[in-house]
Amino acid sequence: MLFPIFFPIAAGLFLLFMKEPEDRKVLIGITGTALAITGVSAAYALFHVNGEAIILFYFTVTLPIYFKPDNIGILFAAVVTVIWVLAGFFSFSYMETGHGKGEAGEKRFYGFYLMVFGILLGLNFAGNMITFYVFYELMTLLSMPLVIHTRSREAVMAALKYMFYSFCGAYMALFGLYFLYRFGNTLTFTAGGVLDKSMLPGNENLLLVAVFIMILGFGVKSGMFPLHAWLPTAHPVAPAPASAVLSAVIVKGGVLGMIRVVYYMFGADFIRGTWVQTVWLTLTLITIFMGSMLAYREKVLKKRLAYSTVSQVSYILFGLALLQPIALEGAFLHVVYHAFVKCALFLVAGAVIHKTGKVKVDDLTGIGKEMPVTMWCFTFASLALIGIPPTGGFISKWYLALGALESGEGIFCLLGPVILLISALLTAGYLLPLTIKGFFPGDGYCYPEQNPLNRKKETSLYMLAPIAILAILAVALGMAPNLLIHYISGIVSEVL
Amino acid sequence: MSKIMLIAVILIPVFTGVLVPVIPFKKRQHMEIFLEMAVVINTILVWSLLYHRPIDNFILVKFTGNLAIAFRVDGMGMVFAGLVSFLWPLATLFAFEYMTKEKHEKVFFMFYTITYGVTLGIALADNILTMYFFYELLTLVTVPLVMHTLTREAILASRKYLYYSLGGAAFAFIGMIFVIVYGTTTEFVLGGVLDLEKVGERANILLLIYVIAFMGFGVKAAIFPFNSWLPQAGVAPTPVTALLHAVAVVKAGAFAILRLTYYSFGADFLRGTWAQYLLMGIVMFTIVYGCSRAVKETHLKRRLAYSTISNLSYILFGAVNMTPLGMVGALTHMAFHAFMKICSFFCAGAIMHQTEKHYIHELDGLGKKMPWVFGIFTVSSLALMGVPGLAGFISKWNLARAAVESGNKMAYFGIGCLLISALLTAIYMLSIVVRAFFPPQDFDEKTIEGFSDPNWKMLLPLFVFAAVIIAFGLFSSPLVKFFEDVAGGYYKVV
Repeated sequence: MLFPIFFPIAAGLFLLFMKEPEDRKVLIGITGTALAITGVSAAYALFHVNGEAIILFYFTVTLPIYFKPDNIGILFAAVVTVIWVLAGFFSFSYMETGHGKGEAGEKRFYGFYLMVFGILLGLNFAGNMITFYVFYELMTLLSMPLVIHTRSREAVMAALKYMFYSFCGAYMALFGLYFLYRFGNTLTFTAGGVLDKSMLPGNENLLLVAVFIMILGFGVKSGMFPLHAWLPTAHPVAPAPASAVLSAVIVKGGVLGMIRVVYYMFGADFIRGTWVQTVWLTLTLITIFMGSMLAYREKVLKKRLAYSTVSQVSYILFGLALLQPIALEGAFLHVVYHAFVKCALFLVAGAVIHKTGKVKVDDLTGIGKEMPVTMWCFTFASLALIGIPPTGGFISKWYLALGALESGEGIFCLLGPVILLISALLTAGYLLPLTIKGFFPGDGYCYPEQNPLNRKKETSLYMLAPIAILAILAVALGMAPNLLIHYISGIVSEVL
Repeated sequence: MSKIMLIAVILIPVFTGVLVPVIPFKKRQHMEIFLEMAVVINTILVWSLLYHRPIDNFILVKFTGNLAIAFRVDGMGMVFAGLVSFLWPLATLFAFEYMTKEKHEKVFFMFYTITYGVTLGIALADNILTMYFFYELLTLVTVPLVMHTLTREAILASRKYLYYSLGGAAFAFIGMIFVIVYGTTTEFVLGGVLDLEKVGERANILLLIYVIAFMGFGVKAAIFPFNSWLPQAGVAPTPVTALLHAVAVVKAGAFAILRLTYYSFGADFLRGTWAQYLLMGIVMFTIVYGCSRAVKETHLKRRLAYSTISNLSYILFGAVNMTPLGMVGALTHMAFHAFMKICSFFCAGAIMHQTEKHYIHELDGLGKKMPWVFGIFTVSSLALMGVPGLAGFISKWNLARAAVESGNKMAYFGIGCLLISALLTAIYMLSIVVRAFFPPQDFDEKTIEGFSDPNWKMLLPLFVFAAVIIAFGLFSSPLVKFFEDVAGGYYKVV
């Protein structure tokens, strides 16, 4: 279990301290091997670690660094593994600038990329809040260099913004953690919560404030209003594979944080029906709507996708905030689907930039003629994100809406599904034009016969394969979701 | 160990210091060896003294009544003396290299070494009078160090330092008089020495006096509004700024406040009074104020000085919790902040020594040229922010735990202040790190040509500090246990 956590960290460190190799192939070889080894060992671990527990060492007498993967952690870790390996292989050709040379700082990029892989697995396998917090902070620190990669002024500013917002969130989480330590029996994750019932009377309000601040804090990472502003800045400036994993996986770190806090630390019963739940639901709905709206208005493709992340992750948060089994199932499903879809979309954006250098949506007219397979994948992924049956997004949204209707949370019963629908419409509005204009460019378009620049130029197989796999996964898991749903309902029945 | 050692460890550095300008050294290297030997020997003596602790006090001079100059080794003294004596040899080593570019180094090393003895005097003082005596002495022997460069700026700064410190000591003197009059004894006793029958109706006056004395000692601990001397005193050579203005002098202020609070007035007497709330408010304000100023500051050393102001108030925040846990938090941060801040100051010193650059915007891209210095600077930055796995996290954890357990509503807001300050720390420290390692694409490589890491004399202390920061971040249990024993009165003097 520890191997897939620490091997990539060690490999990443090795890369960072290694001398720049003459031949780019050596670098790729090392990174690729390390990725593959980690991927395989992580996959092996996923099937075998459930229930294992390891105490690594003690910070202080009462603060152990403790790993104990449970079902939810394994689900997240599986998503991380799939996406990290695929996006990693994508990055090998994305980083190539021609003539066998790579981008400047490529070695550093791979080094940190590998390290964050290990950190994320550690985050998902963490067995108590303090371990989770350790890896959460490390995740922020080590993923910052991925954002800053190009070192343009814009990237540096974005990376700083990312880092400071994230630390703000982490410290808010830490604030609650101090109180949790006092009023809880333990910091080990326990389904149903750990609050010490005998200490509760008289302190409910204090603890509600604490849990609210923790939710807001983890909400920073998952782009929840009002602390979402870093996300549309930081995700697009990173190189495409980095934006893909940031948007697909790292934001889920915040989601997992909320799950841990609400369902495993304070307990859903403690929050149900309080002002915390109301405010939380309101914030998620605002975010869903606002994110879609901003994505709809955005002209730059990667920024549009980043806004889309803001909106879509709040679907998940909405499901969490309902504190209702069906909605929670929907939330977990959406974690999986959104991760695959968003990763695919960002990789497509990266492939397009790599081949054509075009970043604006309006410039992409006719792109379907130039890169047909890529755009087909984009279309499938879009459909999944919009939630058109039989793709994955449909199932998760179905569960979310159903959960909202059954929750009996007053106004949110109806408002929730309505906003989900509006947002789905907006999602269609901001994703489908790319497909439509890409394949049916209309009159003004110069076909390759007139303009040789627009000839067919599909990306290499290295880039195409990850995209295709992700798009297929997003659709296939929607068509045959039973295994996944069965697994998830197992988790849900534990905590609710 | 014989009690005479108590006075010996104080006198050895003083005599060594006095001898430095007297002995005609043939080579500079000889002076270095002589000084380093003396300091190391003294440190070994201090540590063996702490290890074989004399269990009663040693009275040197007895004035009338219960006034005496006396020494002892108890829990708090062990913490401070152990800390100071660990840092001094390393700082001296660093200073040898740093001072190659400065003048009058003999005078500098004289006062630098004398200060060691005086600081130990504060740590090992048995009663409030002795502590006060050495406290005043500390001001006097450190003024020449601030003045060292003899520039106009330095003279102004040292004058300001002198006035502030003496003024503060005068306020502290009032507190001392009241402790002498209303206390059963002048010695330090955990839990306080106030004679509650004698105090009777006058509790409020005593609280007022406590506040005055707190603020008086607080001048050295750079509490708001008496903090402006500290950033100005940064004109002194970096070994002084690092060791004295991040550890010895300012921590002497915090140490004196802890003594005053827990050993003279007594935490029970103060807990829940208006004095506690007032001081907690001031401390919380200082925490945020120091950090905000640090974010605004563009001069590297001054930025670190403002950071010190904020971090010292972390210690005081632990102190004003008025609980044993609060004292544990204060002691933890006192020790860990010493390592973190001296580490970052030495990095700043190494940068200035190697590149003559003083402002943060000049540091673009230097991380490539001085990887070790900036690497260690990064470690100390992360530690100051309180990233788990490094020392700062543990001390912040202990402080916050104390605040939560005290059940004091205001202390809850204090935790908020700590975390706001942590965020601001991230901003003012990491922006330097990012600048150094990730310079913007369009920066001019020529500006950093020819710079490199300093030699081993500068690097060794840095490595030691970084190792300590990481080691205590990962395995702090024994040390924290020791602090808990100290606060529980386990290491007392009969």
